[in-house]
Amino acid sequence: MTKVLLSIHVLAAIVAVGPVTVAASMFPPAARRGDTATLRLLHRICVVYALIGVAVPVFGLATAANLGVLTDAWLLTSIALTAAAAALLGLVILPRQRRTADGTDGTDPGPLGMLTGVFNLLWAVVVILMIVRPGSTTGA
Amino acid sequence: MAPITLLRTAALAELASLAVLLANLATVHLAPVASLVGPIHGCAYLLVIGTTWHLTRTAPATLLAAVPVLGGVLALRRIRDLRP
Repeated sequence: MTKVLLSIHVLAAIVAVGPVTVAASMFPPAARRGDTATLRLLHRICVVYALIGVAVPVFGLATAANLGVLTDAWLLTSIALTAAAAALLGLVILPRQRRTADGTDGTDPGPLGMLTGVFNLLWAVVVILMIVRPGSTTGA
Repeated sequence: MAPITLLRTAALAELASLAVLLANLATVHLAPVASLVGPIHGCAYLLVIGTTWHLTRTAPATLLAAVPVLGGVLALRRIRDLRP
């Protein structure tokens, strides 16, 4: 059952987080062009896939509980970084995107490009932690 | 997928997954079923809350969505009332 849970976890990470990183990265250039139709579409992709993305930590925690690795340092670090990335996306990036797409902030993306870069970097670090698993004894 | 479709799907999954969990508990009680359907139910529950917040942006509707088991159905009814 662990393998099924892990497969769903990885599949959800690819299918849900992937589109968010790409669409969020495409948002600031579209905002500078003032392309509001594209902004709305990119924002909608980010929101919907961010919502579907709750499957990633849920199935990740279920996998970890099955493997008995919930208190490993590499996993706790990953959970903290994931929480930081999710908070950055939900509390800063998405609201700012919405205001930009609605035109209430003008179409100046401001620091949105940098914030999205930080978000993508956090995910990259989490993925590397998931692969390298420093200190883990459960094999390569 | 439109957010309202996402909410409908999640609301259905929230109910159906709990039905499977309870049926499993009452009958064969297979551990793998519980460990697979448990996270599906948890996922649906969180998805209902998140989607309702996105669709309504109001605390009462989101609190309604956070009601276990029936949250999705209650939130859908609230949204239907808000947008006739």
